[in-house]
Amino acid sequence: MKNSDEGARRSGPPIVFCESLTYSYPASTRPALTDVTFGLRAGEYVGVVGPNGGGKSTLVRLLNGLLRADSGSVRVGSLDPATEPYLVRRRVGMLFQNPDNGLVAPFVEDDVAFGLENLGIEREEMRERVREAILAVGLQGYERREPHTLSGGEKQRVALAGLIALDPEILLLDEPTSMLDASGRREVMERLENLRGERTVLHVTHHIEELLDSDRILVLNAGRLAADVSPEQLLSDASLLRENRLTLPPVLRLAAGLGLGTAKLRTPEELAREIGEKSGARAR
Amino acid sequence: MAATRGIGQFYPVASPLHALDPRAKILATAALVVGLFLVDSVAGLLALAAVLALLVTASRVPPGEFLRLLRPVAFIVALTVVFQVLFSREGSTLLDWGFLEVHTGGLRMGFFLALRILLLVSAAGILTATTAPLALADGIEDLLSPLQRLRFPAHEVAMMMTIALRFIPTLDEEAQKITRAQAARGADLSEGGPLRRVRATLPVLVPLTIGAFRRADELAEAMESRGYRGGEGRTRYRELRFRASDAIALAAAAGVLAGGILL
Amino acid sequence: MRHVYAQNTPFEVEALKGVSLAVEPDEVLGIVGGTGSGKSTLVQHLNLLLEPTGGHVLVDGADARTLAKNELRRRVGLVFQFPEAALFAPTVEEDVAFAPRQLGLGEAEVRGRVRETLALLGAAHLAERSPHALSGGEKRRVAIAGVLAMGPEVLVLDEPTAGLDPATREDLLDVVRGLKVSGTTVVMVSHDLDEIAEVADRVCLLDAGEVRALGTPSEVFYASPAAAPATVRVASLLRSSHPEVGRPVRLDETLAALKVLLGA
Repeated sequence: MKNSDEGARRSGPPIVFCESLTYSYPASTRPALTDVTFGLRAGEYVGVVGPNGGGKSTLVRLLNGLLRADSGSVRVGSLDPATEPYLVRRRVGMLFQNPDNGLVAPFVEDDVAFGLENLGIEREEMRERVREAILAVGLQGYERREPHTLSGGEKQRVALAGLIALDPEILLLDEPTSMLDASGRREVMERLENLRGERTVLHVTHHIEELLDSDRILVLNAGRLAADVSPEQLLSDASLLRENRLTLPPVLRLAAGLGLGTAKLRTPEELAREIGEKSGARAR
Repeated sequence: MAATRGIGQFYPVASPLHALDPRAKILATAALVVGLFLVDSVAGLLALAAVLALLVTASRVPPGEFLRLLRPVAFIVALTVVFQVLFSREGSTLLDWGFLEVHTGGLRMGFFLALRILLLVSAAGILTATTAPLALADGIEDLLSPLQRLRFPAHEVAMMMTIALRFIPTLDEEAQKITRAQAARGADLSEGGPLRRVRATLPVLVPLTIGAFRRADELAEAMESRGYRGGEGRTRYRELRFRASDAIALAAAAGVLAGGILL
Repeated sequence: MRHVYAQNTPFEVEALKGVSLAVEPDEVLGIVGGTGSGKSTLVQHLNLLLEPTGGHVLVDGADARTLAKNELRRRVGLVFQFPEAALFAPTVEEDVAFAPRQLGLGEAEVRGRVRETLALLGAAHLAERSPHALSGGEKRRVAIAGVLAMGPEVLVLDEPTAGLDPATREDLLDVVRGLKVSGTTVVMVSHDLDEIAEVADRVCLLDAGEVRALGTPSEVFYASPAAAPATVRVASLLRSSHPEVGRPVRLDETLAALKVLLGA
């Protein structure tokens, strides 16, 4: 397994720690996760990538107690999600892949309030927090809208508002943009970037370009942790990418193909500028 | 897109009835319904009819909407009338065609029963037309909550209602989408005789149902992740406030009920 | 010559205004445009699931309205977005067999078609499985096979890679290329310009219900390089100072052109 100390940009003990985590779904012959060990330090932004069926969604569900590990241990703070899921869920907020199926209530503001209702928060305080959360995701004016009238990006922002209202220290994002189109993806990623703050984030995704600002990226393949490296290392390691069926978006593929450092080149404009400078330098 | 009127017969206008607390409205409707069953004179029934007519006006909902509601019941009403008129033997005879006889008693009974059915449906219609579905769910939850002590799942019932309200438009769109997809594969629901059409609904119903179960699973995960653990210790974002006008409405309903029993 | 030609303007809200478009045989035609541009509405006219309020849809020169519905839907197969929502049979085989059976084909023919299309989609090994136990990518292939089994001359795909991971998306694009080679015309709606760049022979750009551009990917994308695939955006920015870049659209040709520029 490839590892990197360059990835340990944050210091201190991990607030989320998994050791030798193993889990199999009831009806399955193969384990979904085998012997996975890793930690998240406070404030870290860690990505998780890998081929489908590799265990990414399973990992996230083990962290907030939706699933219980067969063996190995999970610690969130000092809590075990398997035995104290409700306490864990006060500190961990999760964003799901399907924007539709995470919305419970017939109106936007009622849905944002859902988590607060569960905590037994007083109505006055609820109103305030709901208002702020809706503002934070830019959905002012949407309070009385019904979910089925919203676009995918808007639905995910409602879900995000619901999370923000609870103010968790840890965010688990399970492919929040994979069912959205490009503009929806941009919408949601922008808000996420603004709202990440000092929170600890575990972000599962297929779009590696969403993880360029992350501290580390975990690669999960067939239930095993294949790598725990920095974004730069992952992007420049062609064999690692290939072995785990990871594909880069066009700009990064072009940059890699031209032998240019991929970390600073995200947009076509940046790449063009870089190429322009290099070829200009060559001509001189 | 799906009906802009939403589910049920809620008609959104501003009226004194719309402004009332749903709990008061539910109880008042219940009182009216009980009254309708207890009244046994035509005079009493007509008085109740007058009360309902008053309520329809107060609701500012166009009477045409109520007539729409009554259409499905029209068949039952007609059947009841015919049955009473032709087969009742009470009172003096009006007509005599062999074994078919029409008596005054039959006419009276037919009229009475028909009017009662129409008034019952109208009373329910006034409730649903003037109360938003979500408010109804909240009202029912509050009214049933004392029963929680007897282990009755009032909160769960209300939660089921709100989730149903949330997903009905979504499932409707899904059904339309699936229907179109199957039409593209040659399964047209609008063609063929009744048996063919019923068989043709299978390619829509099966995936819709399976999809609904999958949604339910994902929704449950999302709800749990957000800290849902049943109704215990839960507060509610939406507020129901009982005001003077609600107390007056309840008193009036009680009065009407009493009147109905006495008349 | 297989030829589908449409010219139409439907609806309460004018979703499409005077759209004229010809689909050439054996091509992959990409239909692109933002949300609300009318892409999905347009393609639903191709097999008359939606009828135009004005204009007509011609298939091989004949007005589509004169054709029997089933005949039309057989010749122009439409796969909706997230088509796996419509999978309903107990096994994959049964599901793919649905459409050919609706066409009234004999059992032997149906079985043959099922086997062929599953193989084409790389899903032959899934024949006995329940469609509901498959992964997202597998379900997508089965759903597409279900329409392909009708043997359409034109296959219309509405956002076929939506929600798929990048690896599966690549596989599906390969299938599209394969379809073209085997003689099926493909019309592909997508909001993802990068994938259209990789497979399309011609591109139709829709905006607010009107056709803004129609031509080869090179023509259409270089005409408005700000809203173009990443490859075109990069190349067009360099063209002014380095015209030798040319007008590449696909990733491989763009990479080659850029390498030359850097003297690699």
